[in-house]
Amino acid sequence: MPRNAVGREIPGEVGGRPVRPFQGAFATVPEGRKAAPPLKTLRPGEGKVLPSLEEAIRRVGLSDGMTISFHHAFRDGDLLVLRVVETCARLGIKDLRLFPTALFPCHEPLIRYIEEGVVTRIEGSMNGPVGAFVSRGGKLREPAVLRSHGGRWRAIECGEVHIDVAFIAAPTADPYGNANGMWGPSACGPISFAVADSWYADHVVVVTDNLVPYPALPIEIEQGYVDHVVTVDRVGDPGGIATGTLRITRSPTQLRIAKLAADAVIAAGLVREGMGFQAGAGGISLAATDFIAKEMARRGVRAAFAIGGVTMYLADMLKEGLVGAILDGQAFDARAVEFLREHPRHQIITPGFYADYNSRGCATYMLDFAFLGGTEVDLDFNVNVNTHSDGQLLHGIGGHQDVAAGAKVTVITIPTIRGRIPTIRESVTTVTTPGEVVDLIVTERGIAVNPRRPDLAEDLRRAGLPVRSLEEMRAEAERLVGVAKKPVFGDEIVALIQWRDGTVIDVVRKVVGWE
Amino acid sequence: MELRGEAICGSEERSDALVRVRPARSLTVRISSKTGPMYEDRIREVIAEALRELGVSGAEVEVREQGAYDHVIRARLLCALQRAGGGREPFLRPRPIACARGGSPRVRLRRSRLYVPGNNARVLAFVDTFAPDCVVLDLEDSVPPGEKDAARFLVREVLTAMDFGDTEVWVRINPLPRGGLEDLEVVLLGRPHGVCLPKVESPAEVAELAGLLYELEGRYGIPWMVWIMPVIESPKGVLAAPEIAAASERVTCLAFGAEDYAAETGCERSWEALLWARSRIVAAAAAAGIQASDTVFPDIEDEEGLIEETRRAKALGFDGKGAIHPLQIEPIHRALAPAPEELEWARGVVAAAGEAERKGLGAVAYRGKMVDRPVLLRAKRILEMARALGMEVGDAA
Repeated sequence: MPRNAVGREIPGEVGGRPVRPFQGAFATVPEGRKAAPPLKTLRPGEGKVLPSLEEAIRRVGLSDGMTISFHHAFRDGDLLVLRVVETCARLGIKDLRLFPTALFPCHEPLIRYIEEGVVTRIEGSMNGPVGAFVSRGGKLREPAVLRSHGGRWRAIECGEVHIDVAFIAAPTADPYGNANGMWGPSACGPISFAVADSWYADHVVVVTDNLVPYPALPIEIEQGYVDHVVTVDRVGDPGGIATGTLRITRSPTQLRIAKLAADAVIAAGLVREGMGFQAGAGGISLAATDFIAKEMARRGVRAAFAIGGVTMYLADMLKEGLVGAILDGQAFDARAVEFLREHPRHQIITPGFYADYNSRGCATYMLDFAFLGGTEVDLDFNVNVNTHSDGQLLHGIGGHQDVAAGAKVTVITIPTIRGRIPTIRESVTTVTTPGEVVDLIVTERGIAVNPRRPDLAEDLRRAGLPVRSLEEMRAEAERLVGVAKKPVFGDEIVALIQWRDGTVIDVVRKVVGWE
Repeated sequence: MELRGEAICGSEERSDALVRVRPARSLTVRISSKTGPMYEDRIREVIAEALRELGVSGAEVEVREQGAYDHVIRARLLCALQRAGGGREPFLRPRPIACARGGSPRVRLRRSRLYVPGNNARVLAFVDTFAPDCVVLDLEDSVPPGEKDAARFLVREVLTAMDFGDTEVWVRINPLPRGGLEDLEVVLLGRPHGVCLPKVESPAEVAELAGLLYELEGRYGIPWMVWIMPVIESPKGVLAAPEIAAASERVTCLAFGAEDYAAETGCERSWEALLWARSRIVAAAAAAGIQASDTVFPDIEDEEGLIEETRRAKALGFDGKGAIHPLQIEPIHRALAPAPEELEWARGVVAAAGEAERKGLGAVAYRGKMVDRPVLLRAKRILEMARALGMEVGDAA
């Protein structure tokens, strides 16, 4: 089997579709034209509101083998995916391809529908039980496909994935299909993940629990793309947005990592007037951002912009004038939604604006630095975001690849040991993000600088920061915890991990035992 | 060794293990591991080894662990076995320690002394990475009375298994009559550099500890002198500070504990109210030719307050300060480092003194002020500190 640019064996085709191996972060030159949805029209006076989801499913002609799409703005509070799949099952529709932006632990009941053949393919991030189920193998007709936020947009845009019906959960909508996520009893923040779905799907169904008079503002989803509007009692649970990670960490080790990460960025001279940064939502990222905010206040410098996931911490920075603007693709807590509604320097952005490889510039390319996490890193600076060391597929890619590829300095924050399992590996279980776009790996034992960045190593050493090799830190951790037994992988591929340009950077194979 | 009953030790918190032992005819071990099969064989080995050492041939051992390291599982198992009626002696056999820990010099940087709770496996999992000048594994205030034995074993195993690099390792034991004796017997096997003795009020307590250390060093073959850091935290202790500081050659540093002192005295925990106690402790330490370390700063969030209090402590003559969170270490070190103008002054003084000596002059002045012996000593001390911190000192002195 041929190897790709990060040394992973990649099959030539999967499920009859050719697979392009990853060749480098920016190696692909796109060709051809964008895909196009069908032409449609509507006459004056014709309405769009339908009495039920079932009716909408009938009207759009949803049938066996089709692709249905969803956004994940409600995160673990999503209600629509299961509702649609249940309805399809009831109507006898099967063999569906699910194309969500992401699935969460709340979607565990999907497993039943996979076993029953209602859902036979999944292309989308899987956080938690569905991912674990898929990695046990043998149930989906084809391997799952995981893409970054930008990668998913690109896949729709170039026709790699054709959406038959897009179901868009909308906390607020009007009868003509204009919709947003900023208002209503189920307000969840932007629903802009669904914008590409609305542009390119054959059929678009907006589902809301807050139907307001025309026009519903702000307009995230536009009327011209929407076929039907369905009202339900409850479209999602905004309480499920914040899934517990969104507090500044109290753990001494995580705080130490955050402090080192912030100090590294400061030492590299990146905290300066007019900077742009990505604020993560993990405990370490939040703490690092908080350290940066203190340094900004101390020096009296302002960031030009920050990209969310938006948390209350970031909203506060905007309020205090430390950040000039927030580019918001996703809300990570309800208070942030509230605050951001009426703030003029807060702009909802789409994944296309944020991260699309096939665009003439995306927001992540404007980042000076970003703090990202991972489950494992390796001696080549590759990062695994998707699988655990036991081979289980438990996380989506999110914006990890897009941000790492774009930011001038990409900082991975990771403890060397997590629940006894060492995170610095000789070679990661799965490559999500290649080492060529990773600059610093910060652990509680020190900071590893990618040999491609001797300039950063110099800055950090001059500031007296503990620059160390990954090998050294790995040896220290393994001396404490011992070498973990490794899983044995079979030949069966359960998931493809795409790089943001559509090439395959790695595959996830089924675990068949232990060494 | 025969077990006399069922016993349990540990917890199901992250990085900890809950170990249950029961008497039985033969050996059975059941393991439920957070990491699945990844470390199960190794955990089995750790258990088998400990049981073999103690000669336990009949027991039912159940381990439920949450990513605990080998040495944590071992500590929990040993404590459970002791609780099950294993006695005292079998648990006091010396074992080699994993790293090449050597003795620690009498005088060295002791800017920060970080207290870490001795029975908290989660915090102890990363204790080797915090990098204070001194880490103090605590058996006293942070450990509830019913868990003293568990903490002793855990601290000993941490000392045995972990490499603390350049950090000097201390154990704060309980007062000698209230468990301190038992603490010493167990934890000295882990070969700490020193022992913090809390609530010291008389030189006799220090002398008693010194005698015990002498005896245990011999028994356990510890090839260095284990230091003593008396913690002065009561009015009586403050009054006896000079005698306490001089009570043993093992005393390298006097530490101040403000909380108990303030409570007992009935004073505020303000700088002014504690000034006399602080000054007396610094003077007592200086008179005995040892170091002094200031009390902890209790507000983790207030970095500026910490730096301010550390600067003031430094101005009084303290060599270090206590810390209750790893994030306090760096600000403490920063606050204690010589300021550039201090460094310049010290360099000038030493240079002027050298010049005078070469010329055979008796009296010498620098910037119009007389440089006598104490001034020269102070300047040299600043330069030494700077050199130890890797700061540019020049060729003076």
